[in-house]
This record gives sequence, structure tokens and C-alpha cells, in this order.
Amino acid sequence: MKVFVVAGILVTFGALATFAQERTLNVGLDADPPNLDPALSSAFVDRQVQNQIYDKLVDINPKLKIIPMLATAWKVSDLGTTYTFTLRPNIKFHDGTPFDANVVKFNLERYMTLDTSRRKGELASIKEIKVLSPTSIQLNLKFPFAPLLAVLSDRSGMMVSPAAVAKFGKDFTNNPVGTGPFKFVERRRQDRIILENTNTYWDTANRPNFDKLVYRPFPDGDVRAANLLSGAIQVMTPIDPKDLKAIAENTRTELASIAGLGFQGIPLNTTKPPFNNKALRQAFAATLDREAIDRVVFQGSVTPAVTPFPPGSPAYTKFFQVNPPNLELAKKKLAEGNQPNGFSFTMLIATGTVNAQLAQLYQAFAKTANIDMKIEQIEFGTLLARADKKDFDALALGWSGRPDPDGNIFDFFVTGGVSNYSGYSNPRVDKLLQLARQTRDIVIRRDIYEDALENIVSDASYPITYFQKVNIGKLKTVDNLPLNPDGIMRFKSVKLN
Amino acid sequence: MLTFALRRLLYAIPTLLIVTIMVFSLVRILPGNPALLMLGEEASPELVAALNRDLGLDKPLYEQYFSWITKVFQGNLGESLRNNESITKVVLEKLPTTLELAFLAMLVALVLAIPAGIFTAVKRGGAADSAVTVLALSGISLPNFFLGVLLIYFFSVRLGWIPPSGYVTPAENLGQNLLLMLMPAVTLGTGTAGVLTRFLRGSMLEVLTQDFVRTARAKGVGAAGVIFGHALRNAFLPILTIFGLQLSALLSGAVITEQIFSIPGFGRLLVEAVATRDYPLLQGVVLLSSIAIFIVSFLVDILYASVDPRIRYQ
Amino acid sequence: MKTSTPTPSTRNKALERFIRNRLAVTGLILIGVFVLIALFAQVIAPFDPIQQNYEQLLQPPSSRHWFGTDNLGRDVLSRVIYGTRVSLSAGIIAVSLAALIGVLLGLSAGFFRGFVDEIIMRIIDAMLAFPFLVLAITLAAILGPSLQNAMLAITVVSIPVFARVTRGQVLSERERDYVQAATALGANDARIMLQHVLPNIAGPIIIQSTLSIAGAILAESSLSFLGLGVQPPTPSWGEMLNVARGYLRDAPWTAIAPGILIFIAVLAFNLLGDGLRDALDPRQQS
Repeated sequence: MKVFVVAGILVTFGALATFAQERTLNVGLDADPPNLDPALSSAFVDRQVQNQIYDKLVDINPKLKIIPMLATAWKVSDLGTTYTFTLRPNIKFHDGTPFDANVVKFNLERYMTLDTSRRKGELASIKEIKVLSPTSIQLNLKFPFAPLLAVLSDRSGMMVSPAAVAKFGKDFTNNPVGTGPFKFVERRRQDRIILENTNTYWDTANRPNFDKLVYRPFPDGDVRAANLLSGAIQVMTPIDPKDLKAIAENTRTELASIAGLGFQGIPLNTTKPPFNNKALRQAFAATLDREAIDRVVFQGSVTPAVTPFPPGSPAYTKFFQVNPPNLELAKKKLAEGNQPNGFSFTMLIATGTVNAQLAQLYQAFAKTANIDMKIEQIEFGTLLARADKKDFDALALGWSGRPDPDGNIFDFFVTGGVSNYSGYSNPRVDKLLQLARQTRDIVIRRDIYEDALENIVSDASYPITYFQKVNIGKLKTVDNLPLNPDGIMRFKSVKLN
Repeated sequence: MLTFALRRLLYAIPTLLIVTIMVFSLVRILPGNPALLMLGEEASPELVAALNRDLGLDKPLYEQYFSWITKVFQGNLGESLRNNESITKVVLEKLPTTLELAFLAMLVALVLAIPAGIFTAVKRGGAADSAVTVLALSGISLPNFFLGVLLIYFFSVRLGWIPPSGYVTPAENLGQNLLLMLMPAVTLGTGTAGVLTRFLRGSMLEVLTQDFVRTARAKGVGAAGVIFGHALRNAFLPILTIFGLQLSALLSGAVITEQIFSIPGFGRLLVEAVATRDYPLLQGVVLLSSIAIFIVSFLVDILYASVDPRIRYQ
Repeated sequence: MKTSTPTPSTRNKALERFIRNRLAVTGLILIGVFVLIALFAQVIAPFDPIQQNYEQLLQPPSSRHWFGTDNLGRDVLSRVIYGTRVSLSAGIIAVSLAALIGVLLGLSAGFFRGFVDEIIMRIIDAMLAFPFLVLAITLAAILGPSLQNAMLAITVVSIPVFARVTRGQVLSERERDYVQAATALGANDARIMLQHVLPNIAGPIIIQSTLSIAGAILAESSLSFLGLGVQPPTPSWGEMLNVARGYLRDAPWTAIAPGILIFIAVLAFNLLGDGLRDALDPRQQS
């Protein structure tokens, strides 16, 4: 009898031991990724997980250069209206079905036509998709569209299994199937998403050396950091500014930072008083102390900004300098705007302690010029709804950023643009932004953008205040995690020690 | 007795209908639009319209209500707007976590309150009574978000004994699960412990003055025998009642506690549902917690009525 | 929570019992101190509570800043002093309104019984079925975040308990001789309720008000804690605690001061309420 018990215990321990040998990498995120279907996804955090499950036609490297992925090569016609891709052969989806040119056609058409697809705008330039052979596909465009390759390096270029879409329909988002290094196992809402190493990834040089990749949402920044410091998770992003130091100084953890693609700023509603008055917008913009924002709120971890193009962007220009606050100018502009004694307005901000801290700084800046700024803290949902209805004076809002410069400027400043919350309209800017997205030579594009920015900065419809950085905290046992300005962690090359 | 129960049950129907209407209309007058939220940075007017159509949010409100309520009667809470997940599934996934938390909190409350309640009742009027009373009232007065923050500060930040937060299922690792649940359970349980202590003291006092206790004493039953054999047993009904009444408080408390300790339970689901305007999810969560509170208070009423005939007025 | 009809002599006894209850008196004194602090915040606070100082971020307590400074370099002591206003006014105003409405509803339900009673009590039951904070969060989200709206949300969620308590009292009072006599003498319903019944059930309502104020202060700080209460830069204890939570490692003092004040304020009202109950409810006495 006793022998059996002992044997039983030994077997149990044996099972536990093998269980323990399974190597898991736990990643802490700030939110539970809402939607893993690239067609329906709109949250930034979705991309963290999607990029492990799906391969894209092309990828971008840390220098923002387009590199091959499922497409091994591509050719662009001289006019920039025809793109021909050569596809990688012998690739299989996690469900065993093959990847070929017809799959690409299926995916792009799904993104372009699905009623609720979020990808329609990005792919609007495509006129026609032609399958030339199983490994070759051609896209014909309605007009030249320089950002296309960059767009295909993101969700629009993710290839999902047509068989799985047919099988799961609306529930594909909960059963995603791609060709990436990890396959989806299960998700528990607000708790975890579990992915598993396929061990059969085509990029044999980049196969991960661990078994499971688990994403866990920690909305609270302190909690996220505490879990990293205690080793409960091995990698985390983003990091609250106040936790940067602790992670950098801890002997077990390290901090990796790179300039990101996004920007933060203050859309001002140009369709109603007080900010339909350009001089008053300029007056408020002149009070902004961007250096203090960086120092007080972010402990030196962001970059003060005036344009939407961060230093890593191909359109970055040194032409626009970050000026210290200028009270003289602010007073002059107040007088010009017929409000010499100041005026008052309300800024909408999303809930969150960093947002509140930042807004109180803006408030103190405005006060130096006798501008009375009130703060209204509302949930992000209500904020977007009111932004959409132009029911606000000013907002604190940002953008996660896109590798192609067009993604950081067009929709924000073109008349009627999807993200043009301030209702800004300047015919000259419209013309320049259209021209820029049709120009493939980046040097010429940069000049065009400089022209447009001169108007944009001076019109002050959307003063930009800072560029955020991509901050990743990780245990020192996690090796070979590339740092990319797009903020997406690519785990295929990661080695766990 | 049966007629009373039936009558109470009959009353429950209009009340529950009012609850569903309240839930539905409260949720719908929340400002903000789920489609806009789901689309986030990339909302274009056409896309918002298409999504609203897809989600059935373009139909008149009464139609939405009836299609919802019909489904509810069939035991189907609908699908989450966000990713089409079945709400019944999500809720069933989250409920055990919150139930575990509530159960452990109750346990903490009992462990603290039973000795404290007996002690104050027996030593009534003395300095010790006052001290325990202050402690009990402190338990009620200490905001659970402050207590949670304090516990994290001392046991996680300062001493590093317990991980500040996180959650593993008992199936995965029972020890780790209990360790991680310890601080949340204490956070949530102290308030209930305070309430329980006060009520226990009151009902013990009442029982201790009653005839059968005097008789027992006269018969020479020892002090401990009187307290545990007679008084405590008879004071137990009020305790059950408090348990019932505290369910609402516990659910409210769980919202904050789960937020502080990052526990993926019912409370966080609720906050997420509000923040993302996931109407069906929010309706489902609020409806279920209302029904739970309702059932418990119904059971408490029945229990009471069956013991104390005076309650059956009318 | 049944009480016998108070007569002048029982009232005096109640007062006596109350005064002898040291805890309750302590609660009353504490409340008095809080009221004084709230009224004279400008005089007492050593600094402007919203004045930022970027050279003095997160400084530990010192002779200049007794409770240290916060993440914008503001004086924590001055902020908790001004925060008293928010908490007290939220508690007292919201509960007074709730008591007014709840008592009226309870009086009507208890006195008219029948159909009116059914309607009122079904709605009250439905409201009670909502978890308190859940309803408050939803209401605050609907109304938009501000102190007034948070107070309104707290008022709404505090009404049911007053209606219930009042109705219960009225049901037992209306069977008593003095009400029967007044009815026989031809006094009208409103008069009977206001002149006879109400004064006789005031005890339980006062107790409930005190306890509800404690709950309301907690609710206000919970809402502010979740960002649904007062708007920055106005200091509120709950909001201060929420911000401070992020700085526990480096600046725990920013959390301690507001946390302890919420605790003491709520405790003061609970002590008072508890003492009042002991004083007015003879069952608990030997």
C-alpha cells in the first residue's frame, strides 16, 4: 500500500517536473487586446499579439526600412501605380492550409470590402488585385500612394487563413490563425492570451527557444512594474514615467528605450469660440513650457516637440525648433485677438493620473498669460464621442504613430480628415498633403511637408507638445528582443536564458 | 409560510422587470458610443454607421430592449460588442474568481467578528468593549482602497513578502492563489467584519437576557456553555441576515478591490464594460448582480419569516 | 431598528445616555473640528492648495511642508485641509437631499399603503438590488464628472434606505393611539404625518442620516478615486489618494495624509451614529 502511495507521489512529482520544464515567457501589457482579427482591430495593443500570430507581406526594421517577410521581393512601376510582389513559397498556416497569391488576394479584398473593416481607408488606393501565379501578385492603384508598403507592414499586410475565416466567421477574432512563429491557444478575458511556439516557423534562424508566450493585461502601471520587478512577468510595455528609474536601477531588470513614432498634443476646436480666433490659439500655444512637461511629468523620458514627425521619421526636420514659453508673445496675441485680459476655456482629458498631472501643467502654463483653463476629466469613450461632435474647446490627445510620415499628418490636418478633431481647414495645406502622399522621393516629400508644417505650426490648430518613447522593461534573462520604433515587440528571435 | 413565500416571489416579478428596464435605460443613456470606442483612432463616419448596423444599435430602443429581454428569458445574455464573445461564457469565467474573493473575505470577517462580537457582548460596558467597538467601527470606516494601498505598501513594497497583485487560478497553483488572494480578502473583509461585530454584539446581548439563557444559567451550565451552546446558536440568524445584506456591499467593494489588485473578476469586468460601453456586457453584469442580491434578500426574508412570525404582517 | 414612542422624559434619558457615551461625544467633537477646518480652510492652510512648484516635487515632510509635497510640488497639508470641504459638503448635502426625498417617499408609502405603497416600494426594491457603487459609477458616468454630479449620484443611491426606514416606522406608528385619535378628530393626512408621525420617528432617521453621511463620504472618495468626482486642480481626498497610489515606493506620505483623513472623518460619523443608536434604542440597554 505504502509503496503505491510513494509511487503515486513520485509520478505526480515527475509530472510537475515536466510541467515546470515547459518554458514560458510572460509579457505584461497595459490593456487586454480587444480584437485579434486584423480587419476589425483598431487598438494599438492588438498589434503586439497579432504580430506573433500573423506574418505580414513586408515588415519594417528598426531604421524604418521596409524588409521582406511573406513577400520576398517587390517591384514598383515608375509611375508608382503598380506593385508586383514575389511571394515566399511552401508556407503553411497553423491550420495546415497553404499560403499563396490567392490567399493574399482574399485577405486584401476582405480588408477592403468587409462591411465593418477598419482597413478600408489605408487600402483605398488599390484599384485591382491580380494573381499572376501562385507566388506572384500585382496590385494596381488608382493613384500613386507612397505609404502603401508601410501600410502593408502593418495590419493591412497581415495574412490570415481563409479556411479559418470561413470556419469561424464572426468568431475568427477569438480563433485567429496565421503563419507566424506562434499559434493561438486560448484567451481569458482581462486575464491572459496564451500563444504556443509552432517550432516549425519558416524563418529557421529566428525560432524562439521557449514553448509558450503569454500576454497578461495590467491596466495599472504600478502593478505592471511591480510584477516585472518581482519576476512574475519577464517583459513589459509601456512603462509609467515614475517607474522608469526603478526598472533601470534594479539588478535583475533592464530598460530599453528608443524614440517612438507617435506624438501628443492639444487639438483646439477651430469651429467655435474662443479657438476659432487664430490669435487666441497662438496665445495659448505660446504659454506652453515643453521642457517642464518633460521634466515634471515624464522625468526626462519624452522629447519636447512642435511637429508631428518624431526624430526617427524620414520626414523629420530640424527646421522647427522647440521654443521656451514666450509671455510677451502670448500677451501680444491676446491683444490681437481682442482679449487683452485673457479668456477662459475647458480642456477635456481622459481619466488617468498622468493625464490629470499633464493637464494641470497646461493649466498652470495658461494661467501665466491670464488664460483661465478648466479641466474636465472624462472617460476615453466620452472624450472620443465629444471630439467627434466637436463638443469641446480643447482636448489632450495623442497618436501612436505610423512608419510612413503620411500616417502622422494627413488625417489630422487635411480638411475633413478622420482625425482632424480641431476642424482645421487650410486649402494650401490640403494641396501640399495630397501632393506629398503621391510623391515617392522622400527628400522631395520632406520639402513638401516642411512647407505644410510652416502653415500648420503657425495656425496652431493642434499644438504638438512631445514625442513619447518606446520603453520596454525586461528581465536580464531575456535576450535578443529587437527594439523597434513602432513599439511592437517581435518575439520570434527571443532567447530565454 | 408557503403563501408568504409565493407572495414574495410574485412581488419579485415586477421588481425584476423594473430592474431590467433600469439596467437597460441606464446603460443606454451613458454618453459615448460603443462603435466610436471600438474604432478608436480610426473612426470614419461611414465605418461608424456600418458598425452600428452590424451591432444592431441603429434599431429603435424599445426594439433593442425587447430583443434583449426575450433572449434573457431564454437564458442567453447575448454577445459582447467588442469581440463577439458569449457573455454567459465570460461571466461564468469571471464569477468563480469574485466568488472566491467574496468567500475568503467573509471568512476573514467571521474569524475577526465572532470572537470580537462575543467578547464585547460578555464584557459589555467596560473599556474593553469600547476598544473593540472603536476597532469595529474603524473596520467599517476604513476605505477599502486605502487599506488595499496600505497593505501593498507594507507587505509588498516595504517587506516584499507578498507579490503586490496578480492572479493565478486555484487549479494552476493553489498555494500561490491563496497567497495572492490574502491581501484582497483582508481588504474586502474588514468592513464586513466591523458590521458583523456590531450586530453580533447586539443580538448576543438580546439573547443573553432571554429566559432560556437564564434558565440554563440557573441549571448550572458554565459561562462558556451558555455562550457557545445557547447564545451563539441563537444569535446566528442575524449573522446570516447580515451575510445576505453584505452581498451588495461586497460586490461594490469587489469593484475597487479587484481594480487595486488587478484581479480579473466580476468587478473589473464591470468597469471595463462601462469604459468601453459594451452595452450587452454591462447589462448582463449588472442584471446578474442585481438578481443575485435579490435572490439572497429573498432567501433572508423567507428565513426570517419562518423563524419570527411577527414579520408576516399584512 | 424599532423604537418606542419618545416622551419628554425618555428624551432626556436619551440625551443623558448619549452624553455618557464617550465614543459618541468624541465623534461629535471630531465632526465639529472638521466643520471648522472646512469653514476656515483659507485661514488655516499654510499654502495655496493649487500652487505648483516644480522645484519641490515629492518632497518628504519637513518643517515647511508638514505633510510633504505632491507630484506637482503642491503642499499636501493645504490640499487635505481644502479637501475637507469637498468631503463634508458631499456627505452632508447629498444625504440631506436623500433624507428629504426618502422620508417623503417612505411617509407616503407607509401612510397611504395600497397602490402607492406598491409602486414606491417596488422601485425602491429595484434600486436596492443594484450594488451601491455600481449604480453610483454608472450615474456619475452618465452625468459627467463633477462634484455636483457625484453628489447627485450619491443622493440617488442613498434614497432607498431612508424610504425603507421611514416606511417601516410609519407602519408601526400609524397603529398607535395618538394617530388613531388624531384621525378620529378629523385631522387630514398630511397634517397627521408631518405634525404627529414625523417627530415620533425622527430618531431612526437621524441615526440613519449620520450613518449615511459616513457612507456618502466614502462614496465620494471612491468616485474621486476612480476619477469620477471633483475635477483637478480642486483637491479631494479620494483623488489625492488615487494619485498617491502611484508614488507609494518613493513618496508614501502623499497617500497617508488623505487616507487617514478619510478614515477619521468616516469614523467620526460612524461613532456618532452608533452612539445615537445606543442612546435612542433602549433595547440595547440593560
